[in-house]
Amino acid sequence: MAKGDFDRREFLKSGAIAVGALAIVGSGVSYLDKSDEGTQLTQEFLRPPGAIGEIDFMYGCIKCGLCVQICPVHAIKLADVHEGLSYGTPYIDVRNQACDFSCDALQCVETCPTAVLDFEQFKNAGAIAVEKASKLPGVDLSKVNPFEVQKVAMKEAVKIGKAHVNRRTCLAHNRKGFKGISRGLDFEGILRSPDSKYDYATPLKDKEFDMEICNLCVTECPIGETAIVFVPGRGSGKLHPRVLDGCTGCGVCVMVCPTDKPSIVVEPIKS
Amino acid sequence: MFDLIKSGKNKPALKPKPLAKMPHTELGMDYKAWCDSHKGTHKWRNIRWSVLIFMNLLFVVSFAYDLTILEGSLSGSRLIGFYLMDPFNALQLLAISSTTGYIGMLTMNFWIGFITILLFWFLLGGRSYCSWMCPYHLISEWAEKLHNYLVKKKKIKEHIFQRSLRYVFWFGFILLALLTQNLVFEDLNMVGIVSRAMIYGPGLLLLWVIAVLLFEIVYSKRFWCRYVCPIGTTYSMVGKLSPLAIKFDLDKCGYCRDCQAVCLVPHVLWFVQRGKATQEVHYTGSDCTKCGLCIDTCAGNALSYTIKGWGTIL
Repeated sequence: MAKGDFDRREFLKSGAIAVGALAIVGSGVSYLDKSDEGTQLTQEFLRPPGAIGEIDFMYGCIKCGLCVQICPVHAIKLADVHEGLSYGTPYIDVRNQACDFSCDALQCVETCPTAVLDFEQFKNAGAIAVEKASKLPGVDLSKVNPFEVQKVAMKEAVKIGKAHVNRRTCLAHNRKGFKGISRGLDFEGILRSPDSKYDYATPLKDKEFDMEICNLCVTECPIGETAIVFVPGRGSGKLHPRVLDGCTGCGVCVMVCPTDKPSIVVEPIKS
Repeated sequence: MFDLIKSGKNKPALKPKPLAKMPHTELGMDYKAWCDSHKGTHKWRNIRWSVLIFMNLLFVVSFAYDLTILEGSLSGSRLIGFYLMDPFNALQLLAISSTTGYIGMLTMNFWIGFITILLFWFLLGGRSYCSWMCPYHLISEWAEKLHNYLVKKKKIKEHIFQRSLRYVFWFGFILLALLTQNLVFEDLNMVGIVSRAMIYGPGLLLLWVIAVLLFEIVYSKRFWCRYVCPIGTTYSMVGKLSPLAIKFDLDKCGYCRDCQAVCLVPHVLWFVQRGKATQEVHYTGSDCTKCGLCIDTCAGNALSYTIKGWGTIL
């Protein structure tokens, strides 16, 4: 037998094993992929702002972690392997650290090289808002700050999910107030509250609340009255939070909610 | 193929040098003493390990202290704001997104990063990435030492496969990506897993890295790097026409083959064996990782870093 024959036979043998191994990996992956489709996203596993649909997200995300890196409040984390095939993809667990928009620029989206966090939509939203603001009748153009307009429009265009109030446990629904530090002294989460005197996020545990009827989710919301309002209930006439369509799903309300299990949760948007 | 033609492998071999022309006779030294005269020199190894550790530390430090130096991970990064993409990751993504139409969505930064990394490593010799940048390479280099020791002690047997297996894997992983619409390789990728574990904290997938490492130690030397890793294969393709290579001067060679003994990819030094060289000067092929171990060990300084056409640079 010539040496070449032996080489070829060896190659075919190990090549066949290699192809077999690849086939096993492949079928494993497609099995997991199927069972995971669309069920990936949960309240604890939300994608960062601007994420495209899960199917494209899965291959579009190259797992570089640049979004993790740039987030000033460290809201974004990379999933470990037990989250199935989403290994290495970014997620936000809003209960631990919500996106509070304190970067003011959706930096995670802008930094994404493969556009699975798609910046185009926010760029357009910002541009349209600036255009609109400049055309309002009786507006003194020199007094309009286009960056402020753009900033607000961009964050309002975010749609991670929508918050839902759990009436059974919500303190306001139970006509209870809240006094103290909402998540205790051990809680590490940070946030730039709308009434903060700083332009960056500060620890939530530094802020003490004293509310006759608890409305933390409303006062701390970075979006404001287009997202959540504190209104009297239709029947009872008692004040309680109501989530509106402007909710971005940023999850700040979930993070600040003082009940043991959050009484407000973000339901992810599924494509 | 181009590599083979240029390498001069298919030409008739030159006659071996007579004893009178050997470097040790010219110096009037004993052959054994001459061969060992550079033992213990680790200049390039130390430089390389420092660069490798420094670059990987830059990633870690950039994340830990929020610095804009080298952000991201080895799967994709920004060097002072300038994007760089892992080429095999990018190739998988391009393969999938060209079938789904997503390709049009990719940002300019992605293209800049992809092209820059190809150009950069083309200039620096392709697989230089492996020995100068890849964190798994360093771990694997130590594992290889342990493996060699175990083989020497006859505790285990060496298992060698054919190097062309990596092309099976290369095409296989691209095909898998296409079929599953997923970056399958990224879930197995030593470079990515180790890099992310260092930067963002360890995860369960490190168990997979340990498993492969153990396999390499007890069964087949450098299995992942030699036969599987499609990133290395990609860089090997990138380095085919690279200007940077290790140059071999037959004139200064003493046929001791110490260089081949320390080489991490010994087949690239096929010409050092007595009576094998076909030219007075040879260059290593694109599988060479430009690690410099051979340069350190060579008693006659027959091996050196070279930019082809520019003569010896270092």
